[in-house]
Amino acid sequence: MSLTRRLLVAAAPILSLAPSLALAAPAPAFSVKDADGKTRSLSEFKGKTVVLEWVNEGCPYVKKHYSGNMQALQRAATADGVVWLTVASSAPGEQGYFADGGAAKKWAVANKAAPSAILLDPEGKMGMAYGAKTTPHMYVIDKTGQLVYQGGIDDKPTNKVEDIKTAKNYVAAALADVKAGRKPAVGVSKPYGCSVKYKA
Amino acid sequence: MIARLSRRLLGGLAAALGLAAAAPGFAAPVNTGHIQADLIAQDSWAVPGSTVYVAVTQKIEKGWHTYWRNSGDSGEATSIAWTLPSGWSAGDIVWATPHRQPTGPLMNYGYADTVVLPVPIQVPAGAKPGETVTLKADVTFLVCADICIPENAKLDLAVEVRDEAPEPNWRTGRTVADALAAAPKPAGLDAVFQASETGLKLAVIGGPLKGGQFPDAYFFPFDGTLIDHPGKQTVEAGPDGLTLTIPAGIALKSGQVPEVVEGVLTIGDQAFEVSAKPGQPPVGAAGLGVPAARAPSGDGGGVPLAILFAFLGGLILNLMPCVFPVLSMKAASLAGHAHDAREARTQGLAFLAGVLVTFLALAGALIAARAAGQAVGWGFQLQSPAVVGVLSLVMLLTALNLSGVFEVGTSVQGAGQGLASRGGLAGSFFTGVLAVIVAAPCTAPFMAPAIGVALTQPALGSLAIFLFLGLGLAAPYVAISFSPALLRRFPKPGPWMDVLKKVLAFPMYGAAAWLVWVFSLQAGSTGLAALLACGLVVAFVAWLFGLSQRQTAPRTRWLAGGAAILTAVGVVAVMIPLAKGGAAPTSGSAAAVTSAELPSEPWSPERVAALQAEGRPVFVNFTAAWCVTCQVNDKVALSTQPVVDAFKAADAVYMVADWTNRDAKIAQALSDHGRAGVPLYLVYGAKGGDAVILPQLLTPGAVTEAIEAATLR
Repeated sequence: MSLTRRLLVAAAPILSLAPSLALAAPAPAFSVKDADGKTRSLSEFKGKTVVLEWVNEGCPYVKKHYSGNMQALQRAATADGVVWLTVASSAPGEQGYFADGGAAKKWAVANKAAPSAILLDPEGKMGMAYGAKTTPHMYVIDKTGQLVYQGGIDDKPTNKVEDIKTAKNYVAAALADVKAGRKPAVGVSKPYGCSVKYKA
Repeated sequence: MIARLSRRLLGGLAAALGLAAAAPGFAAPVNTGHIQADLIAQDSWAVPGSTVYVAVTQKIEKGWHTYWRNSGDSGEATSIAWTLPSGWSAGDIVWATPHRQPTGPLMNYGYADTVVLPVPIQVPAGAKPGETVTLKADVTFLVCADICIPENAKLDLAVEVRDEAPEPNWRTGRTVADALAAAPKPAGLDAVFQASETGLKLAVIGGPLKGGQFPDAYFFPFDGTLIDHPGKQTVEAGPDGLTLTIPAGIALKSGQVPEVVEGVLTIGDQAFEVSAKPGQPPVGAAGLGVPAARAPSGDGGGVPLAILFAFLGGLILNLMPCVFPVLSMKAASLAGHAHDAREARTQGLAFLAGVLVTFLALAGALIAARAAGQAVGWGFQLQSPAVVGVLSLVMLLTALNLSGVFEVGTSVQGAGQGLASRGGLAGSFFTGVLAVIVAAPCTAPFMAPAIGVALTQPALGSLAIFLFLGLGLAAPYVAISFSPALLRRFPKPGPWMDVLKKVLAFPMYGAAAWLVWVFSLQAGSTGLAALLACGLVVAFVAWLFGLSQRQTAPRTRWLAGGAAILTAVGVVAVMIPLAKGGAAPTSGSAAAVTSAELPSEPWSPERVAALQAEGRPVFVNFTAAWCVTCQVNDKVALSTQPVVDAFKAADAVYMVADWTNRDAKIAQALSDHGRAGVPLYLVYGAKGGDAVILPQLLTPGAVTEAIEAATLR
């Protein structure tokens, strides 16, 4: 219920716009500690394209994309000046919960992950504000702070690594569109994966 | 159970005999970890040029589940990759009706326990009779409990081709046939949708939905981005079908409106496939309001049982605290004409008429309001401060009348005989009207489920139920007035009657005072000041009118009467703006009705869920300031020391849902529990699950017991 309400609040600015605009809501603000204990907020990334990636290291779908796909995307994006934030919203005791920043960094090193930062959101506040439902659940925020893509990482909602080759990667496409100054052709897709393990 | 057992025994026997590979239409089940999967056939053999149905069965470990074609917020549907002999082809899975699987704030759609997913397989015309082919299915399941595990089963099934009429497989045919029969089908339903950024309105009409009430109706869309899966689907019933209002999913929110909305509509045990086109909803798909959930005690018997309950409830209503002051009036008048049998009968019938007419008028208004889509329930008229204000003035007038300030329909001479005179007939009718109006805040035991059923019926059925409520309420008086033996027991009329009448004025003053208090909660202190001023003027007018009745000189009589009328007009002029301005509720009302000793918090379903998740029992008191039964329960049970102690000991939370003013959420919650009015007491167990409904008359013992039991549930 409260998730619905938050989503509606988040979506409220859309309602006044023409329905043909796929998605152009200001991305919800957040203020979350990263793996180094530093508080990060959306406002510090003003003027930069930001990718949000919800993660749960135990989830088979996350594992599928961490077979190389996700890391490659992270490297390509950050090399292009994009800020890549990997968010863990698993609650304590749930799968995907990082006990501290050290655990998160250890996981990143072991998997050769290359995000700009890993955000720890065990209370689920940031996850709920964005309506993150699955791991992975991907969001692209453009330089003006508008949410221009949200949904799955690609169009093959399976947990098989071999499907990555034939899938259309929505995040890569959205980043290419944003870079070229266009609205992403696909602004919304159904996220797929494991449920985000929010605090019950 | 027996079928399953024998199937297992026979299966085991066949396997033991080494027949598994040889027998047609038979394959060994595969255990993938949390699922036992099997591939089974409907028929014993395949006929060239026909369609055979084979099914993937999943026996899912307890606590785990797999997913429907739209898995909801997370998860992944079961998928099958076929390897078939050349010429053979497989169609789409015939999906069984899904179930809702809430996980935290998310909602998934899928299956638990056992699910059978049939698939049509096209047999080529060129298939050779006599040969045995192998159908291979590589099945991928995502099976989840708190966590998800992808599992995979490579299943195969040997099928013999024969050129003779198909026969059902003796072992597995029934299972596949049942799954096919149970799968949702279109069933000739017409569906229309309207979509916006906020939500989806889905109107469905057709045979299976006609005239029914389906409070549990739910729409599972095929498309996973269309609706907000965990959002509440609001049902509105209509004569030919129903309308669901569903919050928007991400696609609708960003303005992507589909050309067609497809999915499965479930109504209780039945499920239908629905394909909706955009357009104006058909008229018959709405208009009957939110259907009430099945009444906890009245649903087996339907209308006849509800009528019986209504009559009993009406009888018991006579004993409830709110009707009592009015009935004291009736008692006074009965005493007056107890020794004139004919007169007593007429009076009794007039009272009955007053009760019935008012009950039906009230019921009609209630039905009309609900048809207009308003979330109203029993006692709804008291949610309007204007009604409460006027009613308090009527009570005051009645009390002043009993006190002898003025007389109705008679002169002051011979007060005792006056009541028995002709004018008393209107008085009796009026008493009946008043009895019903003030009875509203009381729902007696039996009455609550009866009204709950009444509001789910078509107009005629619900009017019948209300009629019997009235009959129950009036029955004791009508019975007495028709029984000369009982009437003879009344003492002879005399001056004592005047004393009695004046004594009985005081319950009426009490009723007026109580209504003024209710009004103050609804309209605040400014409204209260205006109402008290009105009360003063009403009393003054009554006195002037009484004065005019006592005057023998026509001129002074005329003067006093004229003054009375002028003042009355003045009162009306003041009351109209008051009634309009008074509608604004005050925020303090929730706090005011709770007891001082038991700390409470305002009710919300989200908060209940959160507290349950914390493992704390929750007691919800659905109440209203105008509900006398509720107030009595608060005093005699809820604010007693043992109850306060029990709450502390159990770490239970006391919540108040205050219905003094209109509140659609509370009305919905009442209706979910088969009720149309307050009081309603719900106790949620510490370990989650559904609430227990307590009786309408509470005792401290019953409450403490319920709280103690809730810690263990």
